[in-house]
Amino acid sequence: MTTKNPAATTTDTTKSPTAQATPLIPLPPTAARALTIAGSAAALIGTFLAWTWTDEFPGNLTVTGYPGGLQVLTLVGAALTLLFALSGYGIRGLGWLTPGGTNSPVLLLALGVLGTTGYAMGAISDELGGLVNLDPGAWISGIGSLIAVIGAFGLPVDQPYDDGDPTPHLWGRIRHSLTAPEPGRAKDLPSWAEILIIAAGFGAGLYVFAYGIGTEYSELFIGFLIIAAFGFTALTRAGLLKRLSALTAKHRNVNLAAAFVAAICFPFTQSNDQFALIGANILIFATVALGLNVVVGLAGLLDLGYVAFLGVGAYAAALVSGSPQSSIGVHFPFWAAVLTGAAASLIFGVVIGAPTLRLRGDYLAIVTLGFGEIFRITMNNLNGNSGPDVTIGSNGIPNIPDLEIFGFNLGLPHDVAGHELTRSGNYYLLMLLFTAIVVMVFRRSAESRIGRAWVAIREDETAATAMGINSFRLKLLAFALGASLAGLAGTVQSHVSYSVTPEQYQFAGSVPPNSAFLLAAVILGGMGTISGPLIGAALLYLIPAKLQFMADYQLLLFGLALMLLMRFRPEGLVADRRKQLEFHETGQLDVPEDAPLPEGATGVAKAGA
Amino acid sequence: MNELPQQLANGLILGAMYGLIAIGYTMVYGIVQLINFAHGEIFMVGGFGALTVHLWLPDNFALGAAIPLMILGGVIVSVAVATAAERFAYRPLRTAPRLAPLITAIGLSIVLQQVVWMWYPDAKKDRPFPQFEGGPFDVFGANIQRGDLFVLIAAPVCMIALGFFVTKTRSGRGMQATAQDPDTAKLMGINTDRIIVMAFAIGAAFAAIAAVAYGLKNGQVGFRMGFLMGLKAFTAAVLGGIGNIYGAMLGGLVLGVAESLATGYIGDIPGMSLFGGGAWKDVWAFALLILVLLLRPQGLLGERVADRA
Repeated sequence: MTTKNPAATTTDTTKSPTAQATPLIPLPPTAARALTIAGSAAALIGTFLAWTWTDEFPGNLTVTGYPGGLQVLTLVGAALTLLFALSGYGIRGLGWLTPGGTNSPVLLLALGVLGTTGYAMGAISDELGGLVNLDPGAWISGIGSLIAVIGAFGLPVDQPYDDGDPTPHLWGRIRHSLTAPEPGRAKDLPSWAEILIIAAGFGAGLYVFAYGIGTEYSELFIGFLIIAAFGFTALTRAGLLKRLSALTAKHRNVNLAAAFVAAICFPFTQSNDQFALIGANILIFATVALGLNVVVGLAGLLDLGYVAFLGVGAYAAALVSGSPQSSIGVHFPFWAAVLTGAAASLIFGVVIGAPTLRLRGDYLAIVTLGFGEIFRITMNNLNGNSGPDVTIGSNGIPNIPDLEIFGFNLGLPHDVAGHELTRSGNYYLLMLLFTAIVVMVFRRSAESRIGRAWVAIREDETAATAMGINSFRLKLLAFALGASLAGLAGTVQSHVSYSVTPEQYQFAGSVPPNSAFLLAAVILGGMGTISGPLIGAALLYLIPAKLQFMADYQLLLFGLALMLLMRFRPEGLVADRRKQLEFHETGQLDVPEDAPLPEGATGVAKAGA
Repeated sequence: MNELPQQLANGLILGAMYGLIAIGYTMVYGIVQLINFAHGEIFMVGGFGALTVHLWLPDNFALGAAIPLMILGGVIVSVAVATAAERFAYRPLRTAPRLAPLITAIGLSIVLQQVVWMWYPDAKKDRPFPQFEGGPFDVFGANIQRGDLFVLIAAPVCMIALGFFVTKTRSGRGMQATAQDPDTAKLMGINTDRIIVMAFAIGAAFAAIAAVAYGLKNGQVGFRMGFLMGLKAFTAAVLGGIGNIYGAMLGGLVLGVAESLATGYIGDIPGMSLFGGGAWKDVWAFALLILVLLLRPQGLLGERVADRA
């Protein structure tokens, strides 16, 4: 820390006041704030006018007085911008919105509105052929959001520049204007109020998620992604998410319960079976990703063939499902089928893990990769032609019957409290039960002696062994546990998709879950966390499912994203504290500085250590 | 019908290809302890580089004369891709935790496959590769196709050249030193960055030669060929003892012969009649890998690596 020496600080303070106060666009703060508010108000009003003349553009943006489609997104974004900008005036009753940064959330939201509106205008003129197709409403919203962004860039930055930092270049200043200080400690509310806030938070989250799944055309989904990404960052900068996560950390069980209640509500918000099916598939994907997170995130074992364990479970369940084409003519009850699937995966996990886990981690990566491939080849070969007839080869086992649990047929729609629960809705709820089991296993094991031993092995195996941890046994335990969790999910998957085929279980394919996507979900979301893989899986499933037009480029973009992610944010979206420190060894914020010890303090430090 | 020599010959041809690719894995691993997962795809782009050269040449150009040019084309493409990958994907991650470069490598391999699939003309299905005219030779009762002669000559030549390079030249000795201890090597004045690039480049060049051999043998190249070949070649590298270049070639040959014999004879074992034939050969190769890891994890020629952190 050379900049800390007094001489440097004094020379810099002469020019730092200007560097500190100047926002990106030099405007008086009051004018900037007024400009922002006027701009967002214009953008908001514009959404009530027609944006284009024809309803050929999806979402029908022609109606005056009733926003639809992309207009709604701009409307919500502009309203939020207004709210946050007003909060900057210090109006009573709005202060709770911005415990952290005040101006950077405004800027981020304004950018999000500009992004969505600009994208909408671009899409309209591109699809209908020319700018003439834009009606005044679109121009009002577009120009309004642009003015709002200009105004927001004129707002004073939330965080002063570091002393001694030379005035950064333009890009550095833009980035800086998006940062915000951490919020302070919230004052205590009565616990029922806190629980209500948590519930409201999850309700809002569920609504946003259900909206994203329900988007019916890719333009709307892209607009949704833009505004959601900016809005999410804005809420983080405003300190609201920090507050919320502080609350959830305080009421962990309430939090989990709220998350599951929100998740249970999801199929009731969807009347369309197709969307409920997306929900069920996301859950399967997310559950398997969470299982993989035990292996990769906690124990640090790289498993590149994880989807094969899902396949083992699915095939095992399919064989005992009573499908007329199954080569074993038995029909197990569901609980027995689940146990069979999990046990089969467990056995394979031990068979694969036992020889390889004694060796360095790299071998495991390749052996599991090989196993994943061999599983697929073997399932293809067991067709009666090139091998014994077990799995009907590449056609797979079809006609897997729907489950019936306690007389409740999951294949039929049911009426629950006035809402129709479709077939996929039923399976969604069943799968949710399994997700809950996996979350529970993950949480309980991560916090147990075993979980801490896994983390120790992941961090430094030699040191862990020296501490008396039997690293081989624990690694095998993690691997086998991960395998059986995947097998568990596989048993449900085979019923949801009616059939199992070898091609569902590739290393990299365009339809998740496959091994590469599972790994990516864990890494994108954040290794070693519970929410990380769930978020990662939802994103990785939704983006390809909603953006059909980029089907050809999907894998390419996926590969690129993987590389960029490793380069720039290896800890993922939801960063585990430990991982964040590991990946960014320099520049940690909360580590006490190496202040030179006062004379004679050495003895104390040693005693403390 | 004399079957054994035929199977052995097939195994050696296949094994020589595995060995050539395995060199790339083993050299990179020996120096930076990285499984260059994308190496299979570097092999694949080498095949397409060679094919491109062939398509540029006039139709009546003799294949024998074209082969050196095709090798050159393949080597240029492979080496360019591999060194670029090293510079822009792996080097920034050299101090990162081990998982990071491995995942980058997975991403890179998907990207390379997709780029070829999307932008190489007609690469959405396998592209035909030129073939030598004329019937097979008869060597000790085994039929050897003309195209297969290429790898039987190229592999020993490459191995001898590599052996000479590593032991006799200054750069080669620098490479050995870097593999033993990168920090000390750096202190001794070795430009380790250059050595690492060189390891990637040599591996890529060998992979490109293997890709030409693959094309001549199978009559086609496809964007997906790198995955399984890469996996097998890595198996070969482990089999021979990873980090050891002679081990890689030996492992390749052993794996190739084992695979070939399994294809030919497992079906003859009583009770196993349904598990013979080509459909199961990958399964047996993989079973061999598990067996080797169980019985001799350091590989045939390797040193003990299990406890090297």
